[in-house]
Amino acid sequence: MSNYKAINRRTCLKGLGAALALPLLDVMGWAEASEKHEFKPPVRMGFMYMPHGVIMDQFWPKDAKSFLTSPPPALESLRPVLDQCLLMKGIAGVSNGPFRGAPHALELSTWLTAALPDPDKRDEISISISADQIAANSLGAFTALPSLELATMPQTWKENQAGLNEAYYSHCSFRSPTQAVPAETNPRNVLNRLFHKKEQGGGLAASRMSSLDRSMLDLVIGGARDLRRTLSQTDQRKLDQYLDSVRSVERRIAAIEMRQKEAALEKAGVRPSRSHKTDSPPIEIKIPEGDKRSEYMQVMCDLNVLAFQTDTTRVCTYIGSTPNGVSYPELGFNDQHHSQTHHNGQEKKVKKVAAITKFNIDQFAYMVNKMHSLKEGDGTLLDNCIMMWGSGLEDGDRHSRANLPFILAGSGGGAINTGRFLPDVKGNQGDLLTTLLTCAGIPLDRPVGIATKQIAEIPAKS
Amino acid sequence: MTITQPHFVRSAITVMVLGILWFNPNIGIAQSKEDKTLAAQKADAKEFFSKRVTPFIKKYCIDCHQNRRPTEAGLSFDPAVRSPGHAAFSEKWKKSAARVKAHDMPPEGMDQPSDKERQMFAEWQQKVKYLSPKDPGPFVIRRLTKTEYGNTLHDLLGVDPNIVASLPDEVSGEGYLNSLSPLQLEQYLTISENVLNQVLAPEGEPPTEIQKQLFGEPPTSESDTQEKARKVARSLARNAYRRPPSDAETDVLLKVFELGRQNDLSYQASCRLMLKAILVSPQFLFITPAKEIKAEKGIVPLDDYQLASRLSYLLWATMPDDELMTLADQGKLHETPVLKAQVTRMLMDVRSRALFDGFGAQWLKLGNLQERTFDLEKFPQMNAALRTAMYDEARLFFESIVRENRSVSNFIDSDYTFLNENLATIYGLEKTVTGPEMRKVKLTDDNRGGILGMPGVLAATSFPNRTSPVNRGVWVLEQVLGDHVPPAPPDVPSLEKQDQKQIANLTLRERTELHRSEAVCANCHRLLDPIGFGLENFDAIGRWRDQDENGQAIDASGELPGGRNFSNPKQLKTIIADHNAKFSRNLVERLLAYALCRRLEGYDEIVIDELMQKIAKDDYRMQTLITEVVTSYPFTHRRIE
Repeated sequence: MSNYKAINRRTCLKGLGAALALPLLDVMGWAEASEKHEFKPPVRMGFMYMPHGVIMDQFWPKDAKSFLTSPPPALESLRPVLDQCLLMKGIAGVSNGPFRGAPHALELSTWLTAALPDPDKRDEISISISADQIAANSLGAFTALPSLELATMPQTWKENQAGLNEAYYSHCSFRSPTQAVPAETNPRNVLNRLFHKKEQGGGLAASRMSSLDRSMLDLVIGGARDLRRTLSQTDQRKLDQYLDSVRSVERRIAAIEMRQKEAALEKAGVRPSRSHKTDSPPIEIKIPEGDKRSEYMQVMCDLNVLAFQTDTTRVCTYIGSTPNGVSYPELGFNDQHHSQTHHNGQEKKVKKVAAITKFNIDQFAYMVNKMHSLKEGDGTLLDNCIMMWGSGLEDGDRHSRANLPFILAGSGGGAINTGRFLPDVKGNQGDLLTTLLTCAGIPLDRPVGIATKQIAEIPAKS
Repeated sequence: MTITQPHFVRSAITVMVLGILWFNPNIGIAQSKEDKTLAAQKADAKEFFSKRVTPFIKKYCIDCHQNRRPTEAGLSFDPAVRSPGHAAFSEKWKKSAARVKAHDMPPEGMDQPSDKERQMFAEWQQKVKYLSPKDPGPFVIRRLTKTEYGNTLHDLLGVDPNIVASLPDEVSGEGYLNSLSPLQLEQYLTISENVLNQVLAPEGEPPTEIQKQLFGEPPTSESDTQEKARKVARSLARNAYRRPPSDAETDVLLKVFELGRQNDLSYQASCRLMLKAILVSPQFLFITPAKEIKAEKGIVPLDDYQLASRLSYLLWATMPDDELMTLADQGKLHETPVLKAQVTRMLMDVRSRALFDGFGAQWLKLGNLQERTFDLEKFPQMNAALRTAMYDEARLFFESIVRENRSVSNFIDSDYTFLNENLATIYGLEKTVTGPEMRKVKLTDDNRGGILGMPGVLAATSFPNRTSPVNRGVWVLEQVLGDHVPPAPPDVPSLEKQDQKQIANLTLRERTELHRSEAVCANCHRLLDPIGFGLENFDAIGRWRDQDENGQAIDASGELPGGRNFSNPKQLKTIIADHNAKFSRNLVERLLAYALCRRLEGYDEIVIDELMQKIAKDDYRMQTLITEVVTSYPFTHRRIE
């Protein structure tokens, strides 16, 4: 392909409108090609959540110097990849403002939006688009699945704090200010969905759709548009979600087909391969039989790894645990997470919260360690990811949010300067998310939530 | 019991005011008198606001709470002074009234209102609703929930409702998201494919029974085909869309049929394609109106088909049956006597189990009993079977009150329940109740009977390894009495300045009572804790006990604010039973919010006031309660905009 010309991803995204120009994708391939005509792997973003904050003196490193050599107890399992991690103290959470009575209703839903719900419409979903969905809008254009949303518990918690819609409790991804994105909790379904397994209940039927089925769907869409004209304005807005979802599925099918075509061209030697000889083979997924939480969370992490490894999606959000009602029998006690976080300094409870926190970080560490073990191009899968673990509270006992705990792993292809602990960063969670999206090469038309700036200490100096 | 007083006073006044109206046999006149009363109340509220509330706000609040100076709470009274009845402000009125009442506001160091002025501000709470315009709220086209979608596929095509298992679980009723994501749409496409593969024969094989019913006999001639296809399209769409399709909608389906024919598909295969189109159409996935709305804004009654769906999905969680559809065809369903008769019929049908699975379980907070963690070393018997029995006990009890049309006071106190051998061990009745099937059992122990002594509820409000008097107190106040308990404030001051060792030796009760030594906590805990202590004789899975696990005697005595004493669950039940009006109102509010899939506000309060009169008059019977909700103005009308 002598006339092959790589286009800078950013240039391309700027011109990327609602209509996806497929030939462009073909030229784009996997981001910028190197001089050797090898593709540089794309940047992926992952987010993993734990509610209720941490035990601070077990989470924050003592100082910047000792971070790599003697990490705090909570981070022990990250030791093999510490030089790929970044910790920052001083990231302030969104102030709860008019929702002071709802610390747990908002810790998850403000986590990736860095914004508060509209206090005049608290009964409905009215917040901001979340950082993962902003990323999906850009990075998702190139993959079979724009983004993947996973959760450990079903999103059905019912409790009404400060008059807020229940969904604020259990959702962190918002496609638009008014639309919460549901997450999948069944690993088997996720596997089927990612790789179109034809088993019962799984797979993207649409991707197997014949051209006949598609023509049928076109007629249905035409009918939906007719129906739309007869409806009131509020009804129309609801129907638009249907139309938008159909479009999204169509886009997915196009991306899958594009991939198949590309693969055929690669196989025929007509175009350079997007994969490298050094790449590790796709990992195997074993779905656990029992109900051990660690095994369950690890298979969800594996699915995230596999989805990134196969470039099936470039954005994944995993709600590892939800506020309220969650226990960890595997740790040898049955107390609910929330009840222990109001520990008042009691040693017994503090220990339990520390164990729960460590358990959650261990699962995250399992995921990033695995990413680190997988070769991709000149480096590892982790090298090309920006993985973020965090909580929506700093101290669950006092519901404080002054220094939200975040762990970053992976440098996003060298965009982030890792292997450090920054003990005194000045910024808020919006600033952090804005910075991370920018590091992933995502053009933003406005900052995320309450952000006012980029956090200059995070990016690698270029 | 001071907490309930305002409610009582208000109810009593409305009983007196509106009670007079019912004795008027002429409903038309009563209606207009009712309107007049409302108009008078509205005028009174307006005057009250301008003469008393506005000066109060100007004197004590607005210096800080105004647009130019946003406070931490984000509250500004500027818009409220201009339009006090605006729905957006109702929540804020409630909060500010509560804070003024609690002497939280105005803050220390500012001008303080007199107690009389504070009382006036609280009174305003009871009047503000009269400023709300008559409004049923919107009924935006609603997507079927996961459960409804599964049941509808079952009724329509005979498949197992579990065919939808891969969809994400969701909250139904109030708080229902009613949104559609690409993930769900993908699942709909997949599920519809699976459904068709299950119920229709593969191409070339003889049609299945259901296929014959759906598609009829193949046409004999080409000229016959068009006519036949149109007939099939209309009948399929009428069932699946739960209303007659418009001509345009039928045409779309015929185009799909034609598409099949043009691609050389057989008659059967073309019909299949048409059915597939139906199953992924928004008209199937959403409850949509049958009639086009001409006006851009305004209030309209639901058309009969929309009403049939709304009713059917509320009581049965599935599509309307033939009888409802026939009444809708005849345009009769909205007539109050017809609608009432349908509610009774539907409640007597087994499908009304859905009302408990959807609403009842949510109300009693039993929805996640199966997934809750229990300390299995302490409670090895808490296996899936026992949890199912606990859930079923509550369900059968709820259903008996519904089907036998009992007074809702039975929820608080009754002399029967439903047990099997397994669950009977919790009651200590394993000698008299044997076998795995649930049956009605007469109770002689007055501490049992009713939801307060029901193991499922007692377990759902406990921690995995012990009881939680606080959780139980909150449960009673919120789920039973409809009060709102604010969550613990942030920055709770440390309770344990005392010696930790000393605390370890305290009983659970003594430890919990420490809450009340701290002023910030005392306000709420002095209400919550005694209620929870009253149920302490029931352990974390609902067994009776006289001693706690450390061998100390259970002290289940308490005093509720207002000075009513009790010393066991039975007496606590009696006290709560005295608040039947408040309990029923809470039940009505919850059911209406569930039925409307939205939070109640403004005008809804006036609606509830009216419903309560009618329900009280019929001794708070459960079917009357449900019927009144279903025939209410907000359930039968919608605002369009």
